[in-house]
Amino acid sequence: MALDSQLFFEALLERSPPHILEHFRLVLVPLFFAFLLAFPLGVFLTRPRYQRYAGQALALLNAGQTVPPLAIIAVFLPFLGLGFFPAVFALTIYALLPIARNTIAGISSVPEEVKEAARGMGMTSWEVFTRVELLLSLPVIMAGLKTSAVLTVGTAVLASLVGGRGMGAVIFAGINFFRPELIVAGTLVIGLMAVILERLLSMVEWLALPRHLR
Amino acid sequence: MFELHEVTKRFPGTDTPAVDRVSLHVETGEICMLLGPSGCGKTTILRMINRLIEPTFGSVFIDGQDIAQVNPDQLRRGIGYVIQQIGLLPHRTVEENIALVPRLLKWPQNRVSGRVQELLETVGLDPQLVGKKFPYQLSGGQMQRVGVARALAVDPPIMLMDEPFGAVDPIIRLRLQDEFLNLQQSFRKTICFVTHDMNEALKMGDKIAILNNGRLIQHGTPREILSHPADPFVSHLIGEDRGVKLLDLVCVEALMTSGDNDGANGTCVQLNDPAKTALDLMLQENTDRVTVCQGQNVAGYVTWGAIKEYVHRVGGDGPG
Repeated sequence: MALDSQLFFEALLERSPPHILEHFRLVLVPLFFAFLLAFPLGVFLTRPRYQRYAGQALALLNAGQTVPPLAIIAVFLPFLGLGFFPAVFALTIYALLPIARNTIAGISSVPEEVKEAARGMGMTSWEVFTRVELLLSLPVIMAGLKTSAVLTVGTAVLASLVGGRGMGAVIFAGINFFRPELIVAGTLVIGLMAVILERLLSMVEWLALPRHLR
Repeated sequence: MFELHEVTKRFPGTDTPAVDRVSLHVETGEICMLLGPSGCGKTTILRMINRLIEPTFGSVFIDGQDIAQVNPDQLRRGIGYVIQQIGLLPHRTVEENIALVPRLLKWPQNRVSGRVQELLETVGLDPQLVGKKFPYQLSGGQMQRVGVARALAVDPPIMLMDEPFGAVDPIIRLRLQDEFLNLQQSFRKTICFVTHDMNEALKMGDKIAILNNGRLIQHGTPREILSHPADPFVSHLIGEDRGVKLLDLVCVEALMTSGDNDGANGTCVQLNDPAKTALDLMLQENTDRVTVCQGQNVAGYVTWGAIKEYVHRVGGDGPG
């Protein structure tokens, strides 16, 4: 099957651009809510009193990860209907796991003796958390956020199936009308978005890190 | 000065208490060694003094005040704390690590940096060379020095030390011990020092508290412990060579015969040297008597026979 280069460039340069912003919104909004939920959850599950629930919570989130986002949308369809909001809902659930898992892994990996010394010096629990635990686990937490971001860029394609728009509109048009040019162009754009988002988050991380850990 | 009164710690889910009704009194300027095998409760006791662990019952008093009444964070800022794993913050420089407590106490910046320079010199590190380094760039001995400097930062009257020199090699350990004893000459801190090494306890301690299974077995000066071990456990801990160890603690004077040393051969020890020095000298010079001097003047001599007789009398076992 020969690719129609004119159609390909039309898809890339004219059909895709209007959807790029929609797609970014479909990524950033769920990512924001996922972080808002998963980060405190991860922190909570590393506190000594609740540590023992960390395993169960992760198992639950792992299970959540195996359910396809489409299935989540289908299950909630009667309550949430179609459109942007249900898509965001499903994508949020999908983005929770890497953030929560890496938050737990990062904070647990801070050496016990460093925390003990910090406490023994007279740092309050809050100071130990913000100045020691969080700073030392930042690279791992950010890695989780990046994983979620890249994952969501890909998964957000499905949003167009429930009327959530985004780059899925281009790709599914290609699938429905047997136009591989559209599929390739849409995929290319999504790939670029994933790379850009990952780089952006790396820059944020670099700015937040103490200089010698950079 | 601090005092433990009937302190007991029972961890949830255990039958026997980790620390069982321990009462201990540590005078100002004294080094009290907590000695015992692993799991005897010595670290638990230490951590109850800065409230990292709360006693199940009993109380700890510092200068007469019950520490249960003091805010734990405030309390800890006034107590130096050194642990074997050191626990330097890996993302902070040496200077920032030492400045930790002064910063928590909101000292002005110039006072903090002055104090940091001073402390680095105190513990024998070059502020120019080491100050801006990060912990992973230091050797084990250097890290431990930084750990001690950090604990000394706000000049706390009390120091808690949990096997601080346990992780460095034996040569560095001896040097750190000597340097620390030197510092203590002028600092006169009240120190609680955990160790499982009898030799370290004998060397560093003004008093030694021997613990087993959470109970205080014996508390006394190194000499009391060596000459009158309370029970077979203490004897066993000291080892078979307690007579020889005592030679470190008894002055040459006690074993000396007054008068001129007829066979004088130029080897000489001082009146207040430990008797061990005389023994070392005998072995080194292959002689069986050494002259004892007081300053420049000859005071008498010590014989191989006198040392042997002493070791045999107190230890029941001799060097030969």
